[in-house]
Amino acid sequence: MKKFVAMVLAAAMVCGLCACGETKTETSTSTATSTSTVEASTETSTEPAPEPATDEQISLKMWCIATESDSNYPAYKQAIEEVTAAHPEINFEWEATENEAYKTKIKAAAAANELPDIFFTWGGAFLGDFVKADRVYCLDDAYKAFTADLPESMLDNTTYGGKHYGVPLTMNVVGLFANMDMLAEVGYTEVPKTYDELIDCCDKLVAAGKIPFGCSGKETWCVTEYIEPLLEKTIGAGELAKIFAKESTWNNEDIKKAIGYFQEWIAKGYFDPSGISLGNDEVKNNFLQGKYAFYQNGTWNCGDVAAASFKSAVSEFPVIDSSKSALGQLIGGPSDTLAVAASSPNAEVAANFTFELGRAICHYSYLAGSGLPSWKVDYETPDVNPLTQAVAEICNKATGYVLFGDTAMDADTAQIYLDYVSQIYGSEIDGDGFVSGLTDDIG
Amino acid sequence: MKGNIRMNKKVKNGINIFLFLLPGLALFIGVLIAPIFMSFRYSLHDMSLLDPLTKENYIGFNNYVKLFTSGSIHFPKALLNSLLLAALSVFIQLPLSLGLALLLGKGMKGERGFLSVYFMPVLISTIIIGQLWLKIYNPDYGLLTRALWALHILPKGQLIQWLGDKKIALASAFVPILWQYVGYHMLLMYAGVKGVSPDLREAAMLDGATDGQINRYIVIPSIKPIIKVSVIFAVTGSLKSYDLIKVLTDGGPNHATEVPTTIMINQLILRNKAGMGSTIAVMLIVLCFFFALVINKVFKKED
Repeated sequence: MKKFVAMVLAAAMVCGLCACGETKTETSTSTATSTSTVEASTETSTEPAPEPATDEQISLKMWCIATESDSNYPAYKQAIEEVTAAHPEINFEWEATENEAYKTKIKAAAAANELPDIFFTWGGAFLGDFVKADRVYCLDDAYKAFTADLPESMLDNTTYGGKHYGVPLTMNVVGLFANMDMLAEVGYTEVPKTYDELIDCCDKLVAAGKIPFGCSGKETWCVTEYIEPLLEKTIGAGELAKIFAKESTWNNEDIKKAIGYFQEWIAKGYFDPSGISLGNDEVKNNFLQGKYAFYQNGTWNCGDVAAASFKSAVSEFPVIDSSKSALGQLIGGPSDTLAVAASSPNAEVAANFTFELGRAICHYSYLAGSGLPSWKVDYETPDVNPLTQAVAEICNKATGYVLFGDTAMDADTAQIYLDYVSQIYGSEIDGDGFVSGLTDDIG
Repeated sequence: MKGNIRMNKKVKNGINIFLFLLPGLALFIGVLIAPIFMSFRYSLHDMSLLDPLTKENYIGFNNYVKLFTSGSIHFPKALLNSLLLAALSVFIQLPLSLGLALLLGKGMKGERGFLSVYFMPVLISTIIIGQLWLKIYNPDYGLLTRALWALHILPKGQLIQWLGDKKIALASAFVPILWQYVGYHMLLMYAGVKGVSPDLREAAMLDGATDGQINRYIVIPSIKPIIKVSVIFAVTGSLKSYDLIKVLTDGGPNHATEVPTTIMINQLILRNKAGMGSTIAVMLIVLCFFFALVINKVFKKED
């Protein structure tokens, strides 16, 4: 009897295991499907090749941050349609994840060596960490076919040890966006050109019961969009770039001064107090709804701001100390990048495809006003919005770029820096605390 | 001869038992023990997610020391926040759940409906709950501020930064967490309350016991094992809480609402410090086990 029971149990176990095996296959398929449709912050689109599959069909997968709410989404969609139509032999799949979540996702994938064939990344130290760990495919060979369209100077932020690892998409700088209707109410018909004028304008706005600036405190990078131009226009682009690259120290009296200006803005009520608990999307929406007079953020917002119901303008942040800084010194540069995973079984094909895709994304992003072109413009641009054109004008006169601090620094240093920036916005520390803290923790 | 046969049978039975246990054991070791062991190994190294384990980056227990001494990690504060959440869960959330379970378990009109309503927050995705509460807390148009204005508790026009003010952000972030799981614990306890024999109730009633006395001397002692499970879940759940904090405040403003898991993700992913991230993971495992054992001991002592 015992033997019989044991045999029945053994048979049941074998059946169970077999059943588990079968289910496993099904489950993994269904999981893959549900990931693309259910995840709240993830939007997936699949652009199938327009022609029937051939024998040499190649599958490529891309991850990026162009979710439907992202200003670059239409450009990505159009570019992907165009490039996949030209490559029927490629089955292309792409998946977009919201900016902050994407940083976590891509780092985890790189750690597990499970990067998709093509992935969006930021230049500078962000991509540098992946390159150091041999996770990124070198694009030197593929680049040879595109040198005429993509100037080598645009590859500076994605070049490591003399080798190119990224395809730049658009170039963006920090811009001071203004609601001209609100400015007109306090007697300004154009964006203040000097720092004194800017302060005067803000004082008048506060006196009139209006909020000059909106800034998200929940996403600390947004605070850096205010602090970095202040630092640059006080200590100069050269010095700031050296500090970001750890070639110079944070222990600098002018940094204290610049932070002092920022805290003065907070004390005078220039910032929306609600901003500290809001995300960037909410703050941006508030600006687009006419709640703030200024919104200082990346120029990828040009398209959205130009479409707002009020009269808008964009300008460069004014100079504070003209002995050390000048107009034309900007925060930003070509940072948005596509890279190819070294682990991709079709890395060579992916590399060529990435260049073509990068060129197309740059093209459509420029036309949509969500960035300036890193690639040469050999097409008509009659519909580019006036704000993007104004930024192009500013960039034409640029004398120096300092890459966004959290992109220029390695991951650990960037988080320490962001931590101190967050403390400044929360008025936890003053200029002295900022400088001494960063000097102790970074150098 | 007989002894040999008996011995052989015993060995065979042993082998059979081992074979039957093997798949489960392999799964248990592969899914639970091995990752804990690997996390412990990583925690002894100063390494990034992209680095391999080497002798060069072996640093012994330095990460554990740094966890409590480094000013830039904020672990002690995060741990304190979690312990506070655990205390609130045990002393506010669970009594509330117990009260509801006792009320519903007694049998009342619309019992099923109430049960569903209280349990509903558990069924809703935490991300959605987070977004919902973000809207409630919004200083400009949030329901809470508007309600306080309407009730004249707050002067009209005065804004409160529920999630942006360091002094109240932690409490504001804890409210949705406590609210969400009241229904979960209530359901556990409700099942227990329903399991109490009606004969006991009736006998007590015949002896003239009031509802409160019945609950105190009959129902609650009967569902003690369930209360113990709820306490363990509440405490370990508080130590592991992450999703709602991530959505509501992401540990801010200025680390006011940081919990160990948000710090772990910050170290592990954003700062590329796999060694330190693993140290926090190991600490969490140890703390969860420690509290589970302590709670077991406390309940045993009471028994």
